[in-house]
Amino acid sequence: MTGNMTVIKSFSIGIVAAFGALLGLSAGSIAPAVADETCQSPYMSPIVGQEEFMYVWTLGMDGVGDQSDKLVTIDVRPDSETFGQPINSFSVGGQHEAHHTGLSDDRRTLWAGTLDDSQLYLFDIATDPSKPRLRKTITDFVEATGGATGPHTVYALPGRVLITATSNNRDHGGRSALVEYTNEGDYITTHWIPTPEDMQGATGKEFADGYNYDIRALPRKNVMLTSSWTGWSNYMRDQNAVLNDPEAMKRFGHSMTVWNLHTRKPIKVLQVPGAPLEIRWALKKEHNFAFTHASLTSKLWLIYEDDAGEWQAKEVADIGEPGSPTFPGSIVITNDDNFLWAQGNADGISRLFDISDPHHPKAIYQKKIGSQINMGSSSWDGSRLYYTSSALSKWDRSDEEAEQFVRGYNWDSKELKQTFSVDFIAENLGRAHNMRFGAHSLYAG
Amino acid sequence: MVTYPRSASIVLAAILWTVICIWPPHFVAADGSTEDFDQRALARVATPPLGLPKVFIPGNNPLTAAKIALGRKLFFDRRLSHNRTMSCGMCHIPEQGFTNNEVATPIGVRGRSLRRNAPTSYNIAYLESMFHDARDTSLETQIFGPLLAREEMANPSIGFVFATIEAAPDYEDLFETAFDEPANAHNLGLALASYERTILSANSPFDQWKYGGDESAVSAQVKLGFSLFTGKAGCAACHLIGDESALFTDHALHNTGIGYNSDTVIRASEEPVQVEIAPGIVIPLARKTVTSVGLPRLRDLGRMEVTHDTSDLFLFKTPILRNVALSAPYMHDGSLRTLEEVVRFYDQGGHPNPGLDPLVQTLKLGDNGITALVAFLESLTGDNVAELEADGRSTEIGN
Repeated sequence: MTGNMTVIKSFSIGIVAAFGALLGLSAGSIAPAVADETCQSPYMSPIVGQEEFMYVWTLGMDGVGDQSDKLVTIDVRPDSETFGQPINSFSVGGQHEAHHTGLSDDRRTLWAGTLDDSQLYLFDIATDPSKPRLRKTITDFVEATGGATGPHTVYALPGRVLITATSNNRDHGGRSALVEYTNEGDYITTHWIPTPEDMQGATGKEFADGYNYDIRALPRKNVMLTSSWTGWSNYMRDQNAVLNDPEAMKRFGHSMTVWNLHTRKPIKVLQVPGAPLEIRWALKKEHNFAFTHASLTSKLWLIYEDDAGEWQAKEVADIGEPGSPTFPGSIVITNDDNFLWAQGNADGISRLFDISDPHHPKAIYQKKIGSQINMGSSSWDGSRLYYTSSALSKWDRSDEEAEQFVRGYNWDSKELKQTFSVDFIAENLGRAHNMRFGAHSLYAG
Repeated sequence: MVTYPRSASIVLAAILWTVICIWPPHFVAADGSTEDFDQRALARVATPPLGLPKVFIPGNNPLTAAKIALGRKLFFDRRLSHNRTMSCGMCHIPEQGFTNNEVATPIGVRGRSLRRNAPTSYNIAYLESMFHDARDTSLETQIFGPLLAREEMANPSIGFVFATIEAAPDYEDLFETAFDEPANAHNLGLALASYERTILSANSPFDQWKYGGDESAVSAQVKLGFSLFTGKAGCAACHLIGDESALFTDHALHNTGIGYNSDTVIRASEEPVQVEIAPGIVIPLARKTVTSVGLPRLRDLGRMEVTHDTSDLFLFKTPILRNVALSAPYMHDGSLRTLEEVVRFYDQGGHPNPGLDPLVQTLKLGDNGITALVAFLESLTGDNVAELEADGRSTEIGN
């Protein structure tokens, strides 16, 4: 264990916040939500010091190693002899389109989902944080949920997780659902995303499309937000085929949905064209806004509560040069709400925005990380950033510039300086996608 | 003797009545009557909707309710693919014209790109050959291609399929009931063909006019479209219309230039790809950028891939046009998105190439003629689409 690691036990704060929200307490009367290194659930403990291990959910790749999806553990302790190296790898066997992972509220379990055949692998990361162990595999997600497929985001709520699904078993299109499971991995219920035919009481029928991607909650306002992507038929397909298919290009989400966190009922559907993906709430208690990135239009969008208490969405910045799509794959907000990193999938550039005025973000710095990047994760204090290369097995570059990696950087407020790089092909691992952090001290005492 | 209280009898009767009402699945017909789907399917095949000819039933596969029900279950069972994600019904989607309206060409197991549009399952009972290149000869045998093709359902062997069925408790006794034997390669094809043979749709406005004598069933514009279809436009030379019924196909293969254009002209193009990234927002993307992500599209030589005969290059089968308004996008590669695009393609004489079928000629129909032809094609939608969708969804999806 590294000596300078600090962990805030915010679980109790999260519980208080949750119950505050459930009881309808007014904003500001409860403790502010805190988020971890990538603005995850406020019901979790964040690692505010040095993260020790990085869990990389990695897609199996033809011709690489055992060609199977695997959870790779990278040592990110700066004083370790194995710093910046993979120290463990757990292969789940076969290619399932490994994509996102999420943590339970107690951070004891890492949930790893697959977009293709809808598996959920539950890894115990508490017993030995350096060596995750598979403790359960959920294989009946589709059957249990009533037809939702492609589990994506796993978002911690007290004692349970909310999972965004991305498609369905009727037509592999984009209509999908939110699903709840207990921390033990038992199915609870399914909430379908509103469609024009079934708004479930929400407003914004003209914008509803039923699509789904990410979920993030703001408990002190009793709201949660979902975004919208596309269905299996597009995300599993060769990207060049999608781009060449005008009919397929019409099947992307152009909406976000505001939900009542307590009742899980949709309130309002917002128009956000261009497949809005990751949602990042600001962290300060006086900040009632979130950002998302429209991946197709390469735009940064602000979701905010207006003076009348209504949730609104507006486009606030280009990610890259207008007209030259960067197809951003992820965003990260710093813990002071002043800066946002956006990762350009198409050009491999990580861009830093000053968002101190969230209505007018300004691009202030950029760094080429690789030929393609997708996910970016930041340490709590923002001094370390990590990047992965892969978007999806069929959307990654296949030309002579194709590469697969995890790269670490230090950020000194002026320059990103690389600290390590793991070549995931040379290491016989595969396509590196989603990252989560672990540390021994989360489980001490 | 055991006796039961009267109240228990009432409850039991209520439960029985409820079960009778909801099982087997019923369809409420326009006249308010209900029948179970299997019986309605049998009746549909015995007496096809107006405009369709008699259905040929192979001697080795007499149609029964048990086989129809089993075939329907198999058709929508995703467990019959290698990783349990694909069924026949995932590409032949009932609510999307028994094809997939959302993509030009469908996607198989693990997202593998197919080269050809999913043909509709409507009225396939009448097909003389299967697939766009006519490589199979019967409904009973065609299923083994998709089941085993790596790009489609990707089962590693046919034995793997039967092991899957054998392990599924919900298949217990179904094959035995339908065939007096366990599942095997023969009766699997028979069952699927039995269901597929029942997806008959006609009695369209066109049928009611042409074969039913109802002059008010279609508009004057549709009648003009019909006269063009059978006259100046020459469509009926391949899309045949009989005196008592119409299948709108000659069951033959033709070179219209679509294959040549996709495989030769577009493949060699260096023009940017116009991509609609949001409703109404189209941007040009460099073709090199587009081709750098994902695997390249494979070539498609059409019928020649089956025969190795160079004269069969870019030949594809004439489709049945019934319910064509429901089965966009069009042509063997899904490259035309609307019926108007299709008619305009033929109006300009297809795409010139060395093997262009001489039947494909420049037409000069004008906008009015094109609009009339589209109206005619739209009049070919049968009156039982909702029933066939409900029929398909009457079985649980196997996951």
